[in-house]
Amino acid sequence: MVELMLPKADRPTKGKTWPKPAGAKRLREYHIYRHDPEQNANPRIDTYFVDLDDCGPMILDGLLWIKNKVDATLTLRRSCREGICGSCSMNINGLNTLACTKGMDDSKGPIKIYPLPHMPVVKDLVPDLTLFYAQHRAIEPWLKTTSPTPTKEWTQSVPERAKLDGLYECILCACCSTSCPSYWWNGEKYLGPAALLQAYRWLIDSRDESTQERLDDLEDPFKLYRCHTIMNCAKVCPKGLNPAKAIAEIKKMMVERKVAA
Amino acid sequence: MKEQIITRDVVANPKTKYGNAKASTRHFITQRLTGAINVLFILFLVFIVAKLAGADRADMVATIGNGWIGLPLALLLVIVTIHMRNGMRDTLEDYFAGRAYSTYMTLNTLFCVVIAVAGVAAILKLVFWG
Repeated sequence: MVELMLPKADRPTKGKTWPKPAGAKRLREYHIYRHDPEQNANPRIDTYFVDLDDCGPMILDGLLWIKNKVDATLTLRRSCREGICGSCSMNINGLNTLACTKGMDDSKGPIKIYPLPHMPVVKDLVPDLTLFYAQHRAIEPWLKTTSPTPTKEWTQSVPERAKLDGLYECILCACCSTSCPSYWWNGEKYLGPAALLQAYRWLIDSRDESTQERLDDLEDPFKLYRCHTIMNCAKVCPKGLNPAKAIAEIKKMMVERKVAA
Repeated sequence: MKEQIITRDVVANPKTKYGNAKASTRHFITQRLTGAINVLFILFLVFIVAKLAGADRADMVATIGNGWIGLPLALLLVIVTIHMRNGMRDTLEDYFAGRAYSTYMTLNTLFCVVIAVAGVAAILKLVFWG
């Protein structure tokens, strides 16, 4: 049933303000969402101060500086620290993005950091992406063929390969899906921008031979048609991709198929 | 119709359907088509409303009773109610599931049919009987 407010137990409260590093001249204030579901307490917003003269320029650098030097209990995902793995996606100053590619000097004032919106929180900045990955599994992101496997490889012309540009680069960081109000509302049934971008990537792959079957699987009022072209996905994608356009192309394929039938 | 229980395996299954899958593309086409027609017709509607502002009943009958105005107006009403039903379906799908959804969708259809029939009948009366 509809819930318009966060349950009382999930509303963040003012948390601890950690001491400023001794002797630091240039400081940056971080407000960070902290929550451990195993503790019977509301989430809280802790305040930290990062010494800019002892830390790299990116927001992830600041988070790791806090974790290493101030509060080791701060929990976050990170790996490549260069925008390739998509692990450090989080909500920074109201926008979903990657902490590793977002500079501290991109904004003024305190840096406010929350986990990706509208997802269950495992701990602090780590969201539970179980359903997100299940949705990716649902679009069967692999080559499906019926022809005999060629002896060397499945070939593709240069123009056919070019159609995959702007699609294959997705790193599954979940920034787009978790910025989408339709996904917030129907997160279990609507596949979301990330999965649909990948669905389109396989739909237009010239080597794939299951286009009609893939379209059959996507044809559903929730899985595909919950996209209302809000475009938040395209706005936040840290890789500069446009999932909304991919979804529109899938809808176009659906309409063409229906009209031709 | 029972409300679907959604687990990770249900979500991961490509064959899972959450609604009237066969009709979903038709609904999408209808929604876009009626929406586009409404955009065009709205200028016509604004013109008629502006023309009839402050008019008495005789002027109303004379204007809407003209077949070139009354019949497109009746057609517009039908298209608007189809669009209205589609839009409300989207909202109902968001808020209700199972039997509650079916019940509200039936009421939605009934409401739209009543509006369309009453409106078209009123316009046709003016066109053919004054």
